[in-house]
Order: sequence, then C-alpha cells, then structure tokens
Amino acid sequence: MAILEVKDIRKSFDNTEVLKGIDFTLEEGQVLTIIGSSGSGKTTLLRCLNSLEFADKGQIIVDGNVIFDGENTKRLSESELRNNRLHFGLVFQSFNLFPQYSVLENITLAPKLLNKGTKEEIEKEALELLESVGLSEKKDNYPCELSGGQQQRVAIARALAMKPRILCFDEPTSALDPELTGEVLKVIRSLADKRMTMIIVTHEMTFAHDVSDKLIFMDNGVIAEEGGPDILENPSSDRLKAFLTSF
Amino acid sequence: MDTFFEQFPIVFQALNVGFLQTLKLFAVTLLGALPLGLIISFGSMSKFKPLSAVVRVFVWIIRGTPLMLQLLIIYFFPGLVFNNPIWGGGEDGRFIASAVAFILNYACYFSEIYRGGIQGVPIGQQEAGQVLGLSKSQIFFKITLLQMIKRIVPPMSNEIITLVKDTSLARIIALQEVIWAGQAFMKGSQGISGAIWPLFFTGVYYLIFSGILSLLFSYVEKKLSYFKA
Ligand SMILES: Nc1ncnc2c1ncn2[C@@H]1O[C@H](COP(=O)(O)OP(=O)(O)O)[C@@H](O)[C@H]1O
Ligand SMILES: [Mg+2]
Repeated sequence: MAILEVKDIRKSFDNTEVLKGIDFTLEEGQVLTIIGSSGSGKTTLLRCLNSLEFADKGQIIVDGNVIFDGENTKRLSESELRNNRLHFGLVFQSFNLFPQYSVLENITLAPKLLNKGTKEEIEKEALELLESVGLSEKKDNYPCELSGGQQQRVAIARALAMKPRILCFDEPTSALDPELTGEVLKVIRSLADKRMTMIIVTHEMTFAHDVSDKLIFMDNGVIAEEGGPDILENPSSDRLKAFLTSF
Repeated sequence: MDTFFEQFPIVFQALNVGFLQTLKLFAVTLLGALPLGLIISFGSMSKFKPLSAVVRVFVWIIRGTPLMLQLLIIYFFPGLVFNNPIWGGGEDGRFIASAVAFILNYACYFSEIYRGGIQGVPIGQQEAGQVLGLSKSQIFFKITLLQMIKRIVPPMSNEIITLVKDTSLARIIALQEVIWAGQAFMKGSQGISGAIWPLFFTGVYYLIFSGILSLLFSYVEKKLSYFKA
C-alpha cells in the first residue's frame, strides 16, 4: 500500500485555479521530486499536504486513511488538524527558525510541548539529529549566529524531531548562496539513503536526478509529465523540454 | 523676601504633592491604556471590515488632534452641552476627566504600536509552529509573543517617556500636578510670591523620572538583544 495517495487535488485563489487536479502516489521510503517553473503551483501543493492551505476538491490519503476530503465540508477540529499535520513535516525555503531559541531549543520545542517523551529522551534525540546534520558544536548558538546553510540544516533536524511519515522540502536551497547549497543537499541525500520518505521541490536538476525515485513536472497547475529520473534526459513533452533547456 | 533656603522646604513639600498627582495620572493612564490599546489594535485588524473601519477612523481622529483639545472637550463638553457635569467639581473630577482623556489618547497610540509588533512577526513563524503540530495558543505564547515584545519595546518606551511629560497638559483644566504647583509660587502661595525657581525646579522631577524609565527600558532592550527578530 502506498504511504501517500493524492487524488484530484484542486485549489483556487480568488477564482484563479492554481491546482487543476493533481494525482500521484508515493511509496514508503521513496523520494519524489517536484520540478516546474515559478507559479506552477508547487508550493501550494506542499501547503495543501501540510494543511496550511485547504484544497477545494480531492483527497489526501496517508497509510490508507483519508486525512483530507474536499467533499467533506465539516470543518476539522483543531486537534484533528494538528494530527493531520503530524503525518508531514515541512522544510521552508526561508528556514523559519525560531530566533529567540537556541539551535537545540528549536529542535526540542515541539517534542517537549507535545509530550513526545521525557526531557532527557527528547534532548538526547535532538543531539543525535544535530550530529547527523553536522552541527553538534552549534547547539547553544542562536539562529542569527548561523549561516543560511547551517540554519536550513537545523530546520531539517527540527522537522525530523517530530518523526513525520513524509518530509516535504520547498526549495530548501533557493535562499542560499551557491556555495552553501551543497551542505544542505548532502543532508537530504543522507536522508534518502536512510529511506526517509520525502517530497522535494527543487530547481537543482543534478540533485533531482540523483536522489529521486520519481519525478513530477508541474506546469500551470497540472502534472505535465511524470516518471523516473530518466525523464530529465529524455523528456517526452515539449513543455518539459522547454523547461529543461532553461537550465 | 525670604531666602532660597527658607523657601526650599515649603516649595519642596508643595512640589512633592504636585508630583504625586503627576505620577498618579501617569500610572492610571498606563494601567488603562496598555490593555485598551491591545483591544483597539485587535479591532483595527479585525477581518470584519465595518469594525476595523470605525476603529481606524477613531484612531485617526485621536492621533490627529491635540491631546490638549481632547482634554478640554472631555472635561467641559458634558457640563456645557448636556448641562450634566458628569466629572463633578474639584480635584477628583479634574483627575477623572484627565485620566479618561489620557487613557483614550494613549490607547490609540499604543494600538498602532501593538499592530506594528503583531504584524511585524513574519507569518512563517506561525506556519513553522503549525507544521510542527503546535496549537494556536502554544504558537502565540511560545513563539510569537516574545518576538512581538521585542518589536514593541523600543517604540513603547518612547511613547511612555513622552507620557511622563504629557501629563503636564492636564494643567489646562487646572489639575494640580507638579507644574501647577510650581507656578503657584509665581502668583503667590504660602507666603511666597514672584519666585520663578520653583517652576524651573519642577524640571528636575521630570528629568529624574524619565531618566529612571530610560534606564529601565534600555535594560529590557538589552535583555532582548540576544536574538534578532
Ligand atoms: N495565498 C494566495 N493567494 C492568492 N494567490 C496565491 C496564493 N498563493 C499562491 N498564489 C498564486 O498561485 C500560483 C501558484 O503559486 P505557488 O504554489 O507558490 O507556485 P510555485 O511554488 O510553483 O512557484 C501563483 O500564481 C501565485 O501567485
Ligand atoms: Mg514555490
């Protein structure tokens, strides 16, 4: 059974349809990369998965459970909503670390508030996560004292601390200086090696080619082409061909 | 004419009484305007357009006209127009009328500061909390509140130090605050007349009080300077 099924997701903002029926499935342990030009709806799709936005139509099914159904007009309670969000993690383009907390506190804040274990367990896990993103020595620093690449690695550790089933990345390196993208992509690669289920929106084509099990090319609110990494070498649609020549 | 040293104890005593009234007006204004300002800021940010429009027009009127005018209107209007001097006579009535005018006026200024502080925290902070599964109140108290406070403290400290000096405007309806008390010795009071130095001396009270507040606020700002928001 697929870990995630997305069925006919549609979303409009003030009468402009931004997602025009998105369908795909994702297997556990796989990496799905979403590419497409700016404005094609990639961020909106991730936001719908993370319940930051609500689709007008369609279904989102995690582990066989329908967590979102556009037909169901009953508003979700605050706790249902929070449960739905916990299936997913989201790493933002702009990191969004909490500035008033140290690196370690950024990671432990949510697990502590949601009673995910004892203080000692949570801190031990957070330190392990920091180790895995290569930032153990920065645990007591504040976000303003870190480079963008370091902040994004902390943001990844923070998302992982809630043990999401599926971790989403929205252009995780787009806000970084070119020399800092490598360290973030390396961390994401290491997660792929550990069979973390991920959905990654990125413009890093080489990385997308290497890390993905599956690729989706979005264009103007629809999936214009999908397949394995080879679609980057042999695109069948003209739109993907045109998109790839822009790199 | 008495010597300065003979005058001093009498003047000092009178100015202390006046300054107590100044302090009282200052404290009551803060006590009322800090929470009222927050309510007004919520009103001005309301998604219910008629409410936010009315609130914003009110704030515009209060901020766009002199506090002295507002004091005069609030003090005299009920008595002269409705023949109903609701404030009552005497010093107590003048104090209540002054407090109402100051609270309304300062609440409007504070509301704009709150609004700036609240809207200044990037929406990404709230969203980062949401995707981690935190509740609305956890997000407010654990994530956004301190960032708002950090943004609010510098403009708030300016406004509060201005309030120290603005309390003297209540002199216009003869509230017996410290400048009123100092001025009395020019006209003649307790056997002292034609003395200008008591008026100058009131400045010392303002300097000391605003100096203490400045130190307090810079301490708070320093405490919050460990992070950038
Ligand atoms: N909250 C919103 N309100 C109105 N329009 C929006 C909103 N969010 C996104 N859009 C519009 O939806 C389209 C798709 O945006 P987005 O999902 O951010 O695309 P991408 O991430 O692929 O660049 C854009 O035209 C954008 O202007
Ligand atoms: Mg985007």
